[in-house]
Amino acid sequence: MAADERSASAAAATDGARDDDPLIDVRNLQTAFFTDKETIRAVDGIDFSIDSGQTVGIVGESGSGKSVTARSLMGLIESPGRVLRGSSVRYRDLDAVREFARTFAKRTVAVADLAERYDPAEVFGRTDATPEEFGYADPADVPVVDVAAAGYTDEVGLTDGDECVFVLDGDAGSPESIRDGFVEITRLSGEAQRKIRGGRIAMVFQDPLTSLNPVYTVGNQIEEALELHQGLSGKAATQEAAELLEAVGIPDARRRVNEYPHQFSGGMRQRAVIAMALACEPDMLICDEPTTALDVTIQAQILDLIAEIQESRDVAVMFITHDMGVIADVSDRVNVMYAGEIVESADVEPLFADPKHPYTNGLLDSIPGGQVGDKLSTIDGNVPTPNEPATYCRFAPRCPKAFDECESVHPVPTPVDEETDDHTAACLLYPDDVSTEEAVARHRGRDRRGDRE
Amino acid sequence: MSRWQYFVKRLLLTVPVLFAVLTFLFVMLRAGPIDPVAARLGPQAGAADRAQLRERLGLNDPLWEQYVDFITDFITFNFGQSWVVQAERDILDIAINAAPATLWLGFWAILLPLFIGIPLGFYAGLNPNTLGDYTASLGGIIWQALPNFWLCVIALAVLRRTRNGGGPFGFDWYAFGPDFASRNLSITGTPSLEWFSTTDILFLPVPYVSDWTALAIDIKLILPAAIILGSASMAAELRIGRTAMLETVNSNFVETAKAKGLPDRVIVWKHIFRNALIPLLPVITSEAFLLIGGSVIVEQIFNINGLGRIFFQALTQGDLPMAGALLFLFTLIILGLNILQDFLYTVIDPRVGYDQ
Repeated sequence: MAADERSASAAAATDGARDDDPLIDVRNLQTAFFTDKETIRAVDGIDFSIDSGQTVGIVGESGSGKSVTARSLMGLIESPGRVLRGSSVRYRDLDAVREFARTFAKRTVAVADLAERYDPAEVFGRTDATPEEFGYADPADVPVVDVAAAGYTDEVGLTDGDECVFVLDGDAGSPESIRDGFVEITRLSGEAQRKIRGGRIAMVFQDPLTSLNPVYTVGNQIEEALELHQGLSGKAATQEAAELLEAVGIPDARRRVNEYPHQFSGGMRQRAVIAMALACEPDMLICDEPTTALDVTIQAQILDLIAEIQESRDVAVMFITHDMGVIADVSDRVNVMYAGEIVESADVEPLFADPKHPYTNGLLDSIPGGQVGDKLSTIDGNVPTPNEPATYCRFAPRCPKAFDECESVHPVPTPVDEETDDHTAACLLYPDDVSTEEAVARHRGRDRRGDRE
Repeated sequence: MSRWQYFVKRLLLTVPVLFAVLTFLFVMLRAGPIDPVAARLGPQAGAADRAQLRERLGLNDPLWEQYVDFITDFITFNFGQSWVVQAERDILDIAINAAPATLWLGFWAILLPLFIGIPLGFYAGLNPNTLGDYTASLGGIIWQALPNFWLCVIALAVLRRTRNGGGPFGFDWYAFGPDFASRNLSITGTPSLEWFSTTDILFLPVPYVSDWTALAIDIKLILPAAIILGSASMAAELRIGRTAMLETVNSNFVETAKAKGLPDRVIVWKHIFRNALIPLLPVITSEAFLLIGGSVIVEQIFNINGLGRIFFQALTQGDLPMAGALLFLFTLIILGLNILQDFLYTVIDPRVGYDQ
């Protein structure tokens, strides 16, 4: 995101106009896995956002970092992996912010208080942070909230180090007065983490056959979530569990609630997993390849179900898949990921009608189902393991349009032309209404990731 | 087929197994290398005595008649009399006398690994590749590598040397806990098991501990033998427990449970523990089988007059009916353990008996 945009949105935030703000705002998310041999940057500095009730698709080949992105949002990254400092995932639902400010008063910070002690020169002088990684050229422009949310808490004078609720507008001490703020998901731990997981963001996993515990009844596993997040227990919980199963289209739900997962078919199990995810009335549903393990007719049913749930319950959906056809079906907006980076981001129609990034083009060309007898085109080679900082275009070795600079300049997400600003591509060819030299020059030196870990 | 139908089927299947074992025993006893007449009378006996004994033992009857007699006798626990070990004494009587000591040893030998091996294994599995894991795993491997009979001898030698404070830091096994030295007790021997009495509650005899000192003495007496007898199982349970835990921790449903927002405590005790027990069950019960074999050696070395020791004597002295009867009893115990295993499986795992 460009510097001026960032400051514009910051200004809007302080005005209290938060209607345009997304539900989830991911900024410079970096998740890396540290092994003895190498550091794998599975997610390497991505930005995207999801509005309430919107479906955002994340698409890419295996190994492009889609699932790691989802797990980073859920706080499910485990050793040797970790979300790196500098990443920020903001959860902006006002109800949630007020609830968290009430429950975790000690972990709540009013940004206005921080600003008094904040000295940008000191932060960027003393740490390895760079203003570029926050999208600014001048250290003085970087707002304190960005620095604090990204994990530089000591540097801005937060000594506890476990602050996770940031109040932008209102009094941190009285939750009802809060008009704007966010919960910083990458800084959650313990109970605060568990409140978001399941309670606010629920997840549906890839393999329904193994994502239910085989030794407990399906009802038991749904009731568990109901008890945790809604305080229901006993008969009331069983009743609610049966209603949820019915809502996701499981016939004879009252009986099936007492059955074990092995008595359900694959599609039914995925419905049960979805019912479990809905049990907590989440604001957002992360679907990590929910249809990959199912056969095609069941796939369509599950996709319909997710679409229907989204409409009736108004949840935001983050939909991860490697299947371009599915993405076209379900998403409002699409992010195309490659080797840990988002290479193209656009609304679904423009993306399919006029794909800009050579990788997106390749993906669209390899959808089966063209003319009978036509040889299906593929993208040669594999996704590289992102084990070193990107100082070049990671797609260049496979790119049909690659030229010399692709090996030495790292492309950053850029509007594809001067007029549009919600269609970006990370490719040296764009913006395409200026000359290639000019475009390359715009990418050069704008890499905001540090080269630290 | 429901889980309980499956269990009943398994229960019924033990009947043919029992008959197969009985038949095998019969063949072993009748067609084996030991001539029952020679074994009883010794090599110097006269031909008339031998013929008389043959007739008395029923060895001249048709084979099928002998077989039927044998089966009915064994099923009704009518094992006859011992030939050599405790000559002319009723075998059932001998077994009933010797069984409590073996049961006492077996009880502790199962309990100790269960409550040391499995928790250690689960701990190691929950904290893989930490110092605690390495210590537990390495200890388990070393412990498993030490053979029982060798451990017995070493343990006895070490314990004997601690007499009068001769152990490290003045440790004296004789004086530790209930004092053996002042009571003039040996650190090996058969536990008396005379620490409980029964009282009638609602006309039912209910046992209770009446002599805590005697109980302590019996526990101390059996502890070294039980630890050694259980050592192999302890190490096996530790290692399988670790693997089972690791495998379950990394399974998808654990991630689902985490994504639901469940606290770690619930995830470990509700979701992981029960699933990790499934592969452990056969290990636990099959280790119990090993105890029977192991008790033969351990009882001999620790001088415990239990079933194992008597079995050993019966084998070395050619006491055929005694050895056969004990084998039959061991078979019954093993079949019982198998049924227990099936029962526990049925309780823990709802997928049991499920046909795809």
